[in-house]
Amino acid sequence: MDYKYIEQLLEQYWECQTTLEEEAILRAFFQQSDIPARLLPYKAIFQAEQEIKSEARLDKDFDKRMMQLIDERGEHYVAARRLTLLQRLQPLYKVAAVVAIVLSLGMASQYGWRNPQESQMAQGERTEDSTSVVPVDAATATMEKGTDSLTMVSVP
Amino acid sequence: MNRERFQTEVLPLKDKLFRLALRITLNREDAEDIVQDTMLRVWDVQEQWPNIQSMEAYCLTICRRLALDFVKRAAARNVSFNPEQHDRPMVPGSEQKEEVRLIRQAMDQLPEAQRTIMQLRDMEEHSYAEIAELTEMTESQVKVYLHRARKKIKTIIEQIESYGL
Repeated sequence: MDYKYIEQLLEQYWECQTTLEEEAILRAFFQQSDIPARLLPYKAIFQAEQEIKSEARLDKDFDKRMMQLIDERGEHYVAARRLTLLQRLQPLYKVAAVVAIVLSLGMASQYGWRNPQESQMAQGERTEDSTSVVPVDAATATMEKGTDSLTMVSVP
Repeated sequence: MNRERFQTEVLPLKDKLFRLALRITLNREDAEDIVQDTMLRVWDVQEQWPNIQSMEAYCLTICRRLALDFVKRAAARNVSFNPEQHDRPMVPGSEQKEEVRLIRQAMDQLPEAQRTIMQLRDMEEHSYAEIAELTEMTESQVKVYLHRARKKIKTIIEQIESYGL
């Protein structure tokens, strides 16, 4: 048996330079009964780790208990979700409605409530003066088109 | 469908989660509670399951966070840290067993980060990249902690050897 290789691996193990495969080799080596005296003290580490690993086990009843818990929870969870979903949506609809109203009121107050004749005449006057005004009017017109409560203005 | 998925993907992780929780809390009852809580939390976020790449990594991360929270809360309440003592009756000619006991004690007394990382590397055989992800650290931090842990254990062994049991 080439103990020099194991000693080398062990040195690298302390320095955290071993790969998982090399660590598996160390573990396998130290599980043997035929270990040279100078390496025997280190057997205890791997034994300790093996013990820790094998002792940490949950009993079979855990599975049963766990499934029972999630079955109970499952129902509450779904019911709670449905309620929450409804409750969550209602305020959104309200908010959306309020926003729509505020926007249209806001735009109405900004651009004035005009009747069709007045607005067309106003547009005609403005376009005679300068062309740069037109885009603004076009924008206003487009915006006004969007709101039912204001007069429909056609862009020339 | 989710119930079946839970049974095939989450429940089988119980011992691995238990080992991690136990490493951190050093108390079997507390560790079991934490495993339970971990699984319940995973159950509660079913809508996120399609986004989870590794159920194992996800569960381990939650488990570790819950275990750490538990230990912090216990410390805040000034509850005495109660690592279970691994007392074994001294059988004649069992120096090896005594040595193992002392090493286990030393491992239990390592700071949590070192303890957890040693667990994840030596006992769960995770790569450094995986451990970094689970512990939310960088790979170099992980190696630093592991290095400290292994050096400490090496020192303990050499002390045992030079002073005798």
